[in-house]
This record gives sequence, C-alpha cells and structure tokens, in this order.
Amino acid sequence: MTIARIIVPRFILLFFVVFGVAIITFTISHLIPGDPARMIAGDRASAETLENVRRDLGLDRPVTDQFVIYVRNLVHGDLGTSLRTRRPVAADIATFLPATLELGCISLLLAVLIGVPLGVFSAIYKDGPIDQIARTISVCGISMPVFWFGMVVILLFYAKLQILPGSGRLAMEFVSPQRVTGFFLIDTLLEGRFDAFLSAVRHLILPTFVLAFANLGVITRQIRASMLDVLQEDYIRTARASGLRRRAIIFNHALRNALIPSITLLGLAMGDLLYGAVLTETIFAWPGMGTYVVTSIQTLDFPAIMGFTVVASIGYVLINLLIDLAYMLADPQIREVG
Amino acid sequence: MVFSSWKKVGLALLLAASVSGSAMAATDVLVLARAEDPPTADPGVEISNSGYTLIYAAYEHLVAYKGGTTEVEPELAESWSVDATNLVWTIKLAAGHKFDDGSPVDAAAVKFSFDRLLKLKAGPSDSFPVLQEVQVIDPMTVKFILSAPFAPFLSTLAVSGAAIVNPKVMEHEVDADMAKAWLAEHTAGSGPYKIASWERNQSIVLDRNTHFSGPAPSLRQVIIRVMGEVSARRLQLVNGDADIIEQVPVDQAEALKKEPAIVVESNPSLYVSYVYLNNKRPPLDDVRVRQAIAYAVDYKGIVDGIMQGQAEQMRGAVPDGMWGHDPSGFQYSYDIEKAKSLLKEAGQSNIHLTYTFSQADTSWEPVGLALQASLAEIGIKLDLQAVADTTKREMAAKGNYDLAPGAWTPDFADPYMFMNYWFDPARMGGPGNRAFYDNAKVTDLVREAASIVDQPKREKLYLEAQTLSTQDAPYLYLIQKNDIFARRAAVEGYVYNPMLIQVYNFAKMSKKD
Repeated sequence: MTIARIIVPRFILLFFVVFGVAIITFTISHLIPGDPARMIAGDRASAETLENVRRDLGLDRPVTDQFVIYVRNLVHGDLGTSLRTRRPVAADIATFLPATLELGCISLLLAVLIGVPLGVFSAIYKDGPIDQIARTISVCGISMPVFWFGMVVILLFYAKLQILPGSGRLAMEFVSPQRVTGFFLIDTLLEGRFDAFLSAVRHLILPTFVLAFANLGVITRQIRASMLDVLQEDYIRTARASGLRRRAIIFNHALRNALIPSITLLGLAMGDLLYGAVLTETIFAWPGMGTYVVTSIQTLDFPAIMGFTVVASIGYVLINLLIDLAYMLADPQIREVG
Repeated sequence: MVFSSWKKVGLALLLAASVSGSAMAATDVLVLARAEDPPTADPGVEISNSGYTLIYAAYEHLVAYKGGTTEVEPELAESWSVDATNLVWTIKLAAGHKFDDGSPVDAAAVKFSFDRLLKLKAGPSDSFPVLQEVQVIDPMTVKFILSAPFAPFLSTLAVSGAAIVNPKVMEHEVDADMAKAWLAEHTAGSGPYKIASWERNQSIVLDRNTHFSGPAPSLRQVIIRVMGEVSARRLQLVNGDADIIEQVPVDQAEALKKEPAIVVESNPSLYVSYVYLNNKRPPLDDVRVRQAIAYAVDYKGIVDGIMQGQAEQMRGAVPDGMWGHDPSGFQYSYDIEKAKSLLKEAGQSNIHLTYTFSQADTSWEPVGLALQASLAEIGIKLDLQAVADTTKREMAAKGNYDLAPGAWTPDFADPYMFMNYWFDPARMGGPGNRAFYDNAKVTDLVREAASIVDQPKREKLYLEAQTLSTQDAPYLYLIQKNDIFARRAAVEGYVYNPMLIQVYNFAKMSKKD
C-alpha cells in the first residue's frame, strides 16, 4: 500500500512536469532569435523559398496553434518530425537513447563497483596507504576534465598501445545487431554472435572508463565521509564491545547506514551522466543522445530539442521515484512514516 | 558479493583487451572520417556539402565539372543548344545510362527530377530562379523553357539539386511528400554508388551501383564514419583506420605534414571569408568611413598570422579560380595614414562600432580581435559581440549589426553567384546583399551581365561592376581560404575541384597496398 501511495502521486506529477517542460521549451525555442526555415533552406534562400519551407513545416501558423498541435501529437506519442533529418523525432530518440543509456548504465555500475569498496576501505584504513591512494584517485576523478582525460586514454590505448578501439560502438566488419533492447551487449548475444559481443565490449571499455572515472571520485569521497561518520556512532561501538566480528560490523551495520546518503548522490550522478556523455560521446564518436542534442540545438531543430527535453524530464521524474523507493528499502524508518 | 562481481568485470576487460587492436581496411574499401552526419541525401532538399558527398556519389547530372576546373562537360547530356532568344535550351541525352534498379535514364526522368525540385522549393531550387517548364520532346530529348534569359543556366545544371532521380521513387511516397522521407536516407540515381546502409551519427556505407554505365570503380565500398572530435579523426588516420579525414584545422595540418604515410591536401578554394559593413547605418553609410576601415585592416597579418598562410587576400568579389576574377583589380592595403585622412575628410570622430560574430568559423574571433586593434589605431572603438550562430545569421539578415563576418561559397561556377547576390539590392539581407549596398550603376551592370549569354561581354560588365563596388567598400574583402583535408598516401586518383568541396570522385579513386 505504501509503495502505491508513493508511486501514484508521482505519475500525476509526471503529467504536470511534462506539460510544464513542454510549455517552457516551446516558449524558449520560439523566443531564440533565429529562423529554422533559414537553417534548412540555406542562408541565402530567397524570400519565396523561405515562405514555402515555413508553410511546409507548419511554422507559418500562429504560435498558439503550433503549440496546440504539438501537445495533441505529444499525447499520441508523436514527437513530430526532425527539421534537419526529416525523420520522426521519436525514431531518432529510439536510435540514440539506448546508446547513451548503455554507456551511462555501465559507467555508473563501474563507478559504484569501484567507488564503494574504495570509499569503504579508505575509511576503515584512514590515513593509511589505501586511504592515500583512494583520495588521490577521487581528487583526480573530480578535477580531471573528461575531455582531456578521454584524449589521453585514446592516445595511450588506441594510438600507442593499439589494444583497444578509440571510436564507435562496433568494429566496422560487424553489422549492427537487430534492435531489441538497443544495448549492443544484449542484442549481439540475442543473435548469438559472440564475436560481435566481444567487439561491443571492447568498444565500451574506454568510454565507460572515462565516464565512470568522474563519478568514481564523487562516490568514493561520499562513501568515505559517511563511513567515517557512521564508524563513530554509538551503536558501532556497542557492536564492537559486544564482540561482533569486524567484518560483520562493517558490512552489516556500518555500510548499510553509510549507503543511505549516497542514494541521493547516485540519483544526481545519473543526471550528470547525460551531461558527461555529451563530451564523452564527442571524443569517442559514440552515436548517442549527446551529439544528437548538440547538433539539434545548433540547427534550431525545435521538434528534436523539445522531444529530447520531454523524454529527459520523464527520465528525471522516474529517477527521483526510484531514489525514493530505494530509500524506503534501505531505511525502515522511512518505510513506516511513508 | 561486491568483490566477486568486480573480479568478473576485471576478467571480462582483460579478455576483451587481449584481442588485437586496429585493423586496416581492405584495399577496395575506403574509409572517410568526418565531423558530422549529413542531414539528408535528398537532392531536392539538401544544401550542405556534407550531403553533397552522397548525392554526387549516387547521382549523375546532365553536365559535370570537367576535372579540376569550373567548366562543365556533358555527363547525362550528349549535346545541347540554345535558341536565339536565350530562353529555350534543348538537351539531347546520351544513351546507356541506367539507374541503380536497371531502368534507363530518359527524358521523362529528367522532367520528373526538375518538376520535383521546383515543387519542393526547399532551397536547392533557388539555383533555377527563371526555370518555367521542362518538356519531353522524345524519349531522349528535353527542352528547358526559361521565363527570362539566364546566363549561368548550363552551369546550374551541375549543382547537387539538379541530380537526375529515378521516377520510381514515387512508389515510396507518403502523405504527398514526393518521396522526401525515403530519399532523405536512400538514393535512386545512376551514379557509381548507392547508399547501402546508414546508421545515424555512426556510419554510412556506399556500395557499387552494378548498373553504372561507366567503368566499374576500383573501390568496392566507401564507408563514411562520423567522428566529431578532430583529434580523434587524426588518430584514426595515422593508425590507418581512416583513409581520408576532413575539417582539419590549420595547426593540425602542419603536424600531419610530418607523417610520411599522410598527404595533406591543401588546395585554393572558392570559399571566401569577408566582413559585411552595414551600409545603411551611420556612420557606415558614409563611403569614406567604409574606405577608411578597409585601409586600416592588416590583411597580411590575417593571412599569415591567423590563417598560417593557408589563404590569400581577396581581390574584388569574384575569387581567384573563377572566370570574372580580376587579377589586376583594385585592392585595399594596410595604410593607416590614408585611413586617418579619409576619416578626417568625412568629419567623423569618436566612432564606436560593434562586430557581431559567432563560433561557426574559428577564424572569426581572432579576425575580430585583429580588427579591434587595427581600428583603434584610427580612433574607432570596436566592441566584439559573440552570439549563437543562428542569432548572428538572423541579425545579419535583418541588418541588425554594424560589422559582421561572413563566409560564402558559390553553388555553381559563375560570377553571378557573387556579383548578383552581393550587390543587387533585390537580394538585400539574408539572400546575399548583407551589406545592404545599393549603387544604381552597379545594379544595372550585374543585371545586364546575368541576362546575356555571351561570356566575354558578361566578363567585361562584371569587371566594371567589380571595380565600382570595390571602391565603394561595402564589404571588407579578407581572405580566400584553402580547402584542407588529409588522406593516406595510399589513396590515389583524387582530383580536387574547387566547386566540389567535401565531394570526392570515388569512382576513379583507388587504394594501394
């Protein structure tokens, strides 16, 4: 019952958020000086051609009509047609979003799998060599620009050592798998092509590592700090005094409590991933949302920009919902109150 | 728990890394790496050079540029003639050309292609302002009827938009879109290649068109890979994963020249970079103020310093390499004293102007800084205003600026592309006359030059108009840029044509071992 009480209002909220976002993006898109018709027909298009293109795209109608049409289509799941590529925006997003998600999810996983133990050990062996190493790593991760780090990694592993590919999702000799999930790691396996799967793994290594590294620093630092706090709590002292094994104290009592503040952090990290993905995708020629959004903004491709914003806002609301659910599972107190 | 899964990830990474690294593409496959995905491949819609790469590879035109020149020679056309009024062009088609589905290229296909282009009216059709009708005379003869004489007509038949499209594409029409959605990502032409697959923002594969009438190309496949970051493209080229890379900045070009297996292609282009002076706004409406500014620019400094020598100073509006260029024409040079005296003569002091630019061209900001320093010497204060590129274009089109940099390349090889666009008051604003320049004498000259077919006569008129307009200094003529890209030395047979930037003669290119 309590879960439903959290989820239902969220879905009502989701509706308002999407509607609000649609209004705001639509307004901003139409306030930006610049004429999409000119971007499409060319700078030096004649007035007549511009008029024709405008009519063709429905840009000649009153702004209010355009908005009504947009919202009506949105309700039917139609995000409009990209001005630039002439493809349905929904199809474009379906093409590019899985690539970004694959990159983002694996990076997050990597950041958590490395960052959490690193933070824990850093706290347990405070001021020891492990702590020093962990702190160095986390400072580097936080302060090193993704762009620069990406280039260094490509230079080393692709150009010098030549052991890993530096761009794309799959080696050129492989045909992309039929889209089922859009995740090449899964789709190649579904087709039973292990060599293509391996190629997809190899292509993921460098970009996910670069993207994970930035988040790794934040996670390590957060876990270390909350672990240190928790380890000084009375109940840990009590547990120690009662003769519980050190391992059990750390993993069953301390870590569980230290993780709770990190849940919010994970939510934020997921949001950051999209931002970091823009840079990572550019460096590694990764065909994801990042490049798509940037080109859409540059060419004033309104339907594409708005489609992306709407999808992203839905994503954010869902992430927030997940975080709240995670809190509930992690902290019985919240479960009872909720 | 945490540790065991970490170990698994580590193992997977090691396993994957142990497979060997890069592999060079086969000698019959050419890989081209470029910064952006072409928007579409539809000749009726596409206006970017990046899209032209696909269109010229997949379609043939009635005429084509001869080798590296700006002259045209027959391609699908066998011969042509024009009547005495200069209004009716009759074109005979050559036999034997076939679309990629095997059907012949005939007069009906030519008519279909032009009807479609004019009906779409989406940008590329602007090259045919006076084309009224295309008539099928017999299966291999077409007539083009113009509403007014248009001298550059033959040259316009070579533009990307004039590609001849297989009428069968109409089978793919949805919602009366003239097959626009389908042609955006597919091709239906009689050129040497056709699009085999297109993965957005990733790669486009071109395969040989088995029905191509010419000799079978040596390259079985051309792969265009999208790679936004220039350093990444460069590494791919050096490692041999790419055979050609585009959009190489001048500093990177210098570094690449040191690589023995790489050839840096740097050819004079028809791409000019100039600055619009708003002729309608005081004090720039005073010709002496504009001339003073033109004399205050350090042209050599821009060519050598900002462009590192990969450019030359413009001389007049028509660039070097196109007929109508005047190698002995008047050209402003850096002369501070002359600039100062012109300003004094105009009775102007305390001038405060704004230079509105975007990052669309990397040289615009340093050029702005150079102008700022130069103009300070003659007492003009110049503010730099950086805006988004779409904003800059809109401001320039509406005449909402003092000084703004611009770039221009011709669509077809005729001085018309410069003279009639830049100086005719009928094209003020976005269409071309972005300086809002209006000189009745010049207007008469360029309009007359566009309406007659006799080239020597036209040249004379254009030269006169050029001299007059240069003296009026409506624009600052800065530089004519080199077109730079880099290829592996193993790639042979490429012919540079200044009209076809980012377009390659793939059918005649090959790769050595």
